[in-house]
Amino acid sequence: MRRLTRRTGLSLGLAAAAGAALGRIADARTTTLRVVWMGWPDEQVVPLMDSFRKARPDIELAVEQIPFVQIFQTLEVRLGARTADPDIFICDSPLTASYAVRGHLLDLTPHIDAARFTKAAIDAASWQGKIYSAPFGSSMPVLFYNKALFREAGITPPEPDVTKRWTWEQLVEVAKKLTDPDKNRWGFSFEQQERPYMLLPLGQSLGGVALSPDGLKATGYVDGPAFVEAYSFMQKLYTEWKVSPPGLFDPNLPVEQFGNGRIAMLVAGTFNEATIRNKYPQIEFGVAPYPTFAAGKPVTPTGAWHIGVNPRTRHKDEALAFIDHFMSEELQILWFKLRPYPPVLRSVWEKEAATFATDMWRIVRYELDHTAVPRPATPGFREYEDILRVALRDITTGADVKATLTAAAQKIDRELQKYR
Amino acid sequence: MPAAPAPRSSSPSGFRVPLVVAFAFLAPALGLLFLFRVVPIAIALFGSLTGTKLTGETVFVGLANFRALVEDPSFWRSLEVTLVFNLVVNPLQIVCALALALLVRRPTRFVPAFRTAYIAPMTVSIALTSVLWAILLEPTAGPVNGLLRALGFAPQPFFRSEDQALASLVLLASWKGVGYWMLFLLAGLLRIPEELHEAAAIDGAGPLARFFRITLPLLRRPLGFVFVADTTANFLLFAPVYVITHGGPNGATSLLMFEAYQAAFTYLDQGRSLAISVLVLAILAATVTLQLRLFRERG
Repeated sequence: MRRLTRRTGLSLGLAAAAGAALGRIADARTTTLRVVWMGWPDEQVVPLMDSFRKARPDIELAVEQIPFVQIFQTLEVRLGARTADPDIFICDSPLTASYAVRGHLLDLTPHIDAARFTKAAIDAASWQGKIYSAPFGSSMPVLFYNKALFREAGITPPEPDVTKRWTWEQLVEVAKKLTDPDKNRWGFSFEQQERPYMLLPLGQSLGGVALSPDGLKATGYVDGPAFVEAYSFMQKLYTEWKVSPPGLFDPNLPVEQFGNGRIAMLVAGTFNEATIRNKYPQIEFGVAPYPTFAAGKPVTPTGAWHIGVNPRTRHKDEALAFIDHFMSEELQILWFKLRPYPPVLRSVWEKEAATFATDMWRIVRYELDHTAVPRPATPGFREYEDILRVALRDITTGADVKATLTAAAQKIDRELQKYR
Repeated sequence: MPAAPAPRSSSPSGFRVPLVVAFAFLAPALGLLFLFRVVPIAIALFGSLTGTKLTGETVFVGLANFRALVEDPSFWRSLEVTLVFNLVVNPLQIVCALALALLVRRPTRFVPAFRTAYIAPMTVSIALTSVLWAILLEPTAGPVNGLLRALGFAPQPFFRSEDQALASLVLLASWKGVGYWMLFLLAGLLRIPEELHEAAAIDGAGPLARFFRITLPLLRRPLGFVFVADTTANFLLFAPVYVITHGGPNGATSLLMFEAYQAAFTYLDQGRSLAISVLVLAILAATVTLQLRLFRERG
């Protein structure tokens, strides 16, 4: 009996050892792709990753979700180390040139069928004639407004009609009426109070050009009269008319305040529609086009998230399989449903025609075709964006507009020097 | 293998320790010190003389990084901010720490509670402290402004005004630091024999005279340590600027460490970043040398 037990124990041990060894062999066959992704809510990320895991069970994904306010610094550190980590990363489309110039993006030209995508998406993905990032979404802000607050104040809300687009001057007058400091209620806010993405169109609407055509000079452009006038107007939202809540630099905060009924009008990306609808079902909201200046022409921002492959990856085939899967129509429709960025695949616009029959999407389609201006194409966008961001932040707190923009432009020029 | 004749050192007690043995005991600590202090400083020194090409190769550029800094107004602004901040925050923190230490020296009834309260901020990380104060001093909905309003004062912009941001930073750093430095001074105070005070009192010395003639001179050593350590900590302060102000408004809080961070991670310019770090190190070394000289024991 005792011997038998010992023998059983021995064979059990052997079996365990064999199992472990087999397991290790199996492990060796599984490739793990390290993915640095945006810190969107889990429910907008996990289904995408699971879809890939299901399609390719032999490839494991190690996904890191980095918050928006840290994603660019994180990527700088990781890519700057010039190792094989990460294999795949989310890439803000205007940073495509910056990463490509520094050798952080694999040339995807042979891998991407440009004809399947909108022209704007391919333009944003390209640098010097090659496609370096895989288009994953576009973007377009619209003006969201709280219907109940308009009703309460007896004000006619803006119409979802691009021909009846509100002017900023008109918006401010209404915002003043909707602002009530005693109830901690604000008339208006930008979703991104300091980001050039959302604020460059203000100056562009008045005829300003954000950067020299060669992408290497800011002085005389972003500190020109149009931007000074536009940002002086923006500053008054906080300092003189006091219709916008100051200091909400984290884009989640204005959306939250809109959802809680503390902000009556919000210029924000379309992807917020799903968030507002799901998280704040009690809010009855309408949409209208991004406003323009009375003396200007309508200009809107665009461009969004792409996907890049680290050229130093040791798993190139697997990484390209990931790109293929994420460029598939099925996955892009799933993504659009999770987080409604304007699609970049032409076929998604066609297949989801019923979805796009709403006010918001009619506006977005018009804007993408007629008013959208991508962010300036420059290998130094990272520096450009961050220096200008801090300047815009200072302007909202009351800094001298002309002096702040001039100082920022000089700083940008200094940093763009290295790309000459 | 014949043992090498080890040089011997003698201690006053006559106990002799071979230098090799002493060194062997010190080696792990010295090794780590070398690895984590000397090596990074050497890397920084070398790195400050190099530039990085876009494709990642490092090239030797001589003093170009330093020349670029000297010509850059934003560097001078940052240097000014850093010096002003340190000239205010260090003496302020030490005076407050000393005052608190004197207040809680004798363990009367409520003093243990106060001691605990003063050192409690030590347990909160600096990043968390920053988030906490950003909320407390938030201009529109922050509780401090709420209190001011309730008391009939006008609300203040704090971190969002060019005039108040640096002062707010001083407040935050002091809230976090004063209790910590108080601990060292309190330990020093408790080591001063009570008889000295009693004897002086009998000779007719008032409390002020006793403070300046007995307490302060006998606190020389802990004060010297606190001065040096506090200055170092404040010169290297970074987290609140990163979390709350991003160097603004208009450069009002752009401490040099933040400039170094921005150079590396926003401007993608390692050489510039390391050049700033080297300058911070040089300024700090000069300041600390001066402080050590001032607090050197006489005789």
